Amino acid sequence: MRLKHEEEESLPVRAAMGTAAEKSTKERLLSVLDDLEVLSRELIEMLALSRTQKLPQTGEDTQILELLVQRDREFQELMEVAQHQGKVHQEMQLLEKEVEKRDSDIQQLQKQLKEAEHILATAVYQAKEKLKSIEKARKGSISSEEIIKYAHRISASNAVCAPLNWVPGTNPLLLLLLLICSSASLTHLLFSGDPRRPYPTDLEMRSGMLGHMANLPTNGVNGHLPGDALAAGRLPDVLTPHYPWQSSDVSVGMLPPHHGNDFGLEPPGHNKENEDDVEAMSTDSSSSSSDSD
Amino acid sequence: METEEQARNRFQSELEFVQCLANPNYLNFLAQRGVLRERPFINYLKYLLYWKEPEYSKFLKYPHCLHMLELLQYEHFRKELVNAQCAKFIDEQQLLHWQHYSRKRTRLQQALAEQQQPQQQPPPHGNATTK
Repeated sequence: MRLKHEEEESLPVRAAMGTAAEKSTKERLLSVLDDLEVLSRELIEMLALSRTQKLPQTGEDTQILELLVQRDREFQELMEVAQHQGKVHQEMQLLEKEVEKRDSDIQQLQKQLKEAEHILATAVYQAKEKLKSIEKARKGSISSEEIIKYAHRISASNAVCAPLNWVPGTNPLLLLLLLICSSASLTHLLFSGDPRRPYPTDLEMRSGMLGHMANLPTNGVNGHLPGDALAAGRLPDVLTPHYPWQSSDVSVGMLPPHHGNDFGLEPPGHNKENEDDVEAMSTDSSSSSSDSD
Repeated sequence: METEEQARNRFQSELEFVQCLANPNYLNFLAQRGVLRERPFINYLKYLLYWKEPEYSKFLKYPHCLHMLELLQYEHFRKELVNAQCAKFIDEQQLLHWQHYSRKRTRLQQALAEQQQPQQQPPPHGNATTK
């Protein structure tokens, strides 16, 4: 007969609980079987003895028989109990299987939720990045008309691209020499160079606001003698003291960023501005030329 | 606080000054007088970087000045500008670039156009073979 293992397991639990009186069904069955075995052996021995010795021990016969019957009855009861316990065990196994199934379902759901969360997180992140780039693009948007206007402005004045008939000028030292000799026939040769440049020339700089503030003496320090251009008669711009690069058409709203800082200090932005410092600096650089020589 | 008039004057003077930086001879001039070594001036150059913003840069007539301004942020460049040869070299290169700019651009556009042409040629050939 099969004996269930949980009966074995239940014994230590019960022992721990201190109920030593409750033995497991298996043990009880085994003990009953042992009793039956003992009793039946005794009976057989008695029967064997009574044959040879003829002792009047009728009382013992019936006693043993009664005990035997009792033990048998116990045995039957215990078998029923064991059967019942078997059924219970089967149910338990079924329930355990159910529980396992549910467990795996839950784990599956957990995995799927994790995946979904991951996908959503990436989607949200990418959407945020897109929004950021849209914002950035919007901030940097300029009307095409303005760009075209500006492009025309810097190209038409030959500030970024030389005129097609541009010829480099002669050596300034040579110019100086010839000027000293003041040879009229050669002056035409001298000034075959085009004075136009991709940067404001000495002349233009001095004609501007900064130049007037500084009141520079005329000298050829920057490599362009003011005299040559004058003599060459190539002066359409000079007569108008106001160059487009000096922007007289500044819109009222357009002002330089307020610099509340003294440029003498390393970390900007904490001191109240001393505007005179800035003005002095720009005039210093141009007025320092008067200090030379 | 400065008045609007003062602010406008400051705008104009800063506009003029930043464009003067496009002139390598002027930069050499400043370097030789030690102006480029002064800390306040270096801070001022950093402050002038606001001209790179589109709302300010649209007033610049000589855009080369922005490149010079960027280079001036580096100490090595400021040190080198003391040499007259360095300034002359920059001037020459600047003029050469200025002279050949339109030619370079047309060449670039031609190259781009040629790149696109081979992509358009195969389809006509394909039609011819099917006929």
